[in-house]
Amino acid sequence: MSSLISYYPGNTLFHRLDPRVKIIFMLIACTGILMINDFYIAALVFGLIILLWFSAKLPFSVFLGFMKVLLPIAAFLFVIQAIFYPGATPLIKPLIPIGKGYGQITLEGIIYSFVLALRLMAMIIMLPLISYTTPVQDFALGMTKMGLPYTMAYTMTTALNLVPLLQTETKVIVDAQKLRAMQTFEKGKLGEKLRAYPALVTPLVIGSMRRAQLMAVAMDSRAFGASKKRTYLKDLKMRTADWLFMIATVVFTIGFIVLSRYL
Amino acid sequence: MNLTIHEGEFVAIMGENGAGKSTLCQMMNGIIPNSIGGRLAGKVLVHGLNTQEAGISILATKVGIVLEDPETQLFTSSVKSEVAFGAENLCLSPEDIEERVAWALNVVRLKGFEDRLPTSLSGGQKQRLAIAANIAMRPDILVLDEATSQLDPVGVEEVLSVARELNQKYGMTIIMATDASEMIARHMDRVIVLNEGKLEADGTPRQIFSDLPLFKKLMIRSPQVSQLAAKMQEAEKPFSSFPITIDEAKENVIQLVGNRPGRVTVVPENHKTVEGAQTSILVDNLDYIYQPLNVHAVKGVSFEIKKGEFVALIGQNGSGKTTVLKNLLGLLRPTSGTVLVAGRDTKKTAVAEMAEHVGFVLQNPDQQLFAQTVAEEISYGPKNLGLPPEEIEKRIEETLKVVGLEGRREEFPPAMPKGDRAKVVIASALALDPEIIILDEPTTGQDYKGCHQIMQIAQALHEQGRTVVFVTHHMALVAEYAKRVIVLSGGKLLLDDVTEAVFSQPEVVRQAYIIPPQITELGQALPPELGLPRTPLSVQTMADALLQKLNAPSLEQEHV
Repeated sequence: MSSLISYYPGNTLFHRLDPRVKIIFMLIACTGILMINDFYIAALVFGLIILLWFSAKLPFSVFLGFMKVLLPIAAFLFVIQAIFYPGATPLIKPLIPIGKGYGQITLEGIIYSFVLALRLMAMIIMLPLISYTTPVQDFALGMTKMGLPYTMAYTMTTALNLVPLLQTETKVIVDAQKLRAMQTFEKGKLGEKLRAYPALVTPLVIGSMRRAQLMAVAMDSRAFGASKKRTYLKDLKMRTADWLFMIATVVFTIGFIVLSRYL
Repeated sequence: MNLTIHEGEFVAIMGENGAGKSTLCQMMNGIIPNSIGGRLAGKVLVHGLNTQEAGISILATKVGIVLEDPETQLFTSSVKSEVAFGAENLCLSPEDIEERVAWALNVVRLKGFEDRLPTSLSGGQKQRLAIAANIAMRPDILVLDEATSQLDPVGVEEVLSVARELNQKYGMTIIMATDASEMIARHMDRVIVLNEGKLEADGTPRQIFSDLPLFKKLMIRSPQVSQLAAKMQEAEKPFSSFPITIDEAKENVIQLVGNRPGRVTVVPENHKTVEGAQTSILVDNLDYIYQPLNVHAVKGVSFEIKKGEFVALIGQNGSGKTTVLKNLLGLLRPTSGTVLVAGRDTKKTAVAEMAEHVGFVLQNPDQQLFAQTVAEEISYGPKNLGLPPEEIEKRIEETLKVVGLEGRREEFPPAMPKGDRAKVVIASALALDPEIIILDEPTTGQDYKGCHQIMQIAQALHEQGRTVVFVTHHMALVAEYAKRVIVLSGGKLLLDDVTEAVFSQPEVVRQAYIIPPQITELGQALPPELGLPRTPLSVQTMADALLQKLNAPSLEQEHV
């Protein structure tokens, strides 16, 4: 999987949206998705988010990377839910009767599992849609404009920035271990794998601490946190497209929730 | 320690790793002790301002600092916002910020890069951006803490020329921890040498580089022409004055031997003939494209390395060296083409299996140290192979001997000095007893002493009959140690020949943005009729040639 936080420059509608609108979009859409329990609506919402993904012209391979990780998780959820969801229309009799109504696979169970898997994928795929199209400093600016102190906004975005760095670092360390004939992560048993983790943690922690200290030096020397307020080179202005997108988000979300409840 | 640096000076700080260079640098803008703890006795005054009492924002407008690792000092996703960051923290108005950003980018020659991602820049560009980000706050003093040590020679040149312009045109005081002695000799006013936290020497580059006892005491890098002068002095055939630049050395050499005709017969550096030897590494038409951004990093590269060769792979940052190396191990799989290493197709072999035949040392030692003690670290590989304890014990002892770390098996690797950490990593790779050793920039970030110690280990491995391939930006090391050089440029193979032949084509080498070592440049700058070696690869070769010429019976008398 490619990293969660990095920026793909572009000039699509989604790139140009005000970061505040994107943050609000994410909050509203996530709440909305959690409230949907109709299969068709969930599928529609997932489809719409994929459409947005492609309208932002993010590389297809990145999308595939996410799907590679998400699908097994979704499949796992699917199986668990399908087995344990109590329903009225049994499709397959349980092999081992676990309890009343449980353990048998029902039509309702299958449908609910689909909804759950779709909701999960829709929400997770939304995060990179936003982080990949928004420069970190705009994110921070958006959050400050929404009332967060700037030091906190920057701390949050910097922390997010560390995610891809840690991912790359982990890969390098695992490579280094493979270069010393380590096969645990490929062939080892579960116990062996667990025992292999501490060896990964030592260099990762030491490296992160060293890096954090240097970053603090660099930030200090650029007068970060020197005064309570700071100015910004770039100002945010809500344009018509931003308002339209926000209104559309609200309307669609409410619409979908209502539809899924009363359909 | 007492030290005064005057306004407008261009000062170099030299010293071995651990001499206190970074500590001194970070004290100048109050980061030590204000942000990082520690006890400071005495005072650091910047323009009469005590760094311990002044706030960060005041100091930030007085002293800017650029660090070694470009990645840790860039936080935003565009060049422009990076430069604006500091000015924004100073609460300047958008118009002022805009003006300062434009000025700073212009000075560091990154105009037109405003919207680029900082991560997409080259190493030299990143460091210039870090300079811009600091000078946008208009400091009077700019401190560069080893800011060039991870860069290739062209990157070093770029950063230095910017620093020089800031010094000369804008009168900024520049303090630079560096060991790029050839540049120091050409451009700087003053050199401060530190040793174990104390001030060891302080003077002009000429005073410092001609201080032979100093260089006997400390392993620090002096310009190769100065090393030559030192050798001549030792042999009691001194130059009339002490050179620190090529031009001076050229005059000195002509003056010393100019009236002595006759060609020096140089014993050719021993090139082991490897004809007919077994093939160790075969790369055939290798192409590699990075996804998802579709970066074509290696284009149709082919070469063959025989068993027992000692090869340097060189090229600018981004020329594809590391990509080629990673393809040799199966850490990356060729997009097209074939790579055979130790007779195995790397496309079909697991990395862990390759590891038994190829020892690969990655660039940063800190990412390769996993264990609590040196002995445990070295036994990591052999344990993975399931070797018996007696055998593992034997290998720990043997490899520690090869890297010169006997008796240090109980130390905690991450806490060891930089040079020793690199040695532990090499020992750990050796513990698998591989027939091929690959070192990816083992000397980057190492001081002069560390560089030579590491290369001597590589040399010893070569003498044991192993195939050794290494990547480095230090051309003096390439010239001195490698028997064969492969030059990559823009992902393509530019040259592949014995070391001397490669450096004898300076025009071609420069196409790959590589600057030959100074002693080689001196050989090429001298008039051919002197009959001295045209492509001397080491200071020793040149000194021997000069002495041979001086000791030969003068031919002039025969003419009389």
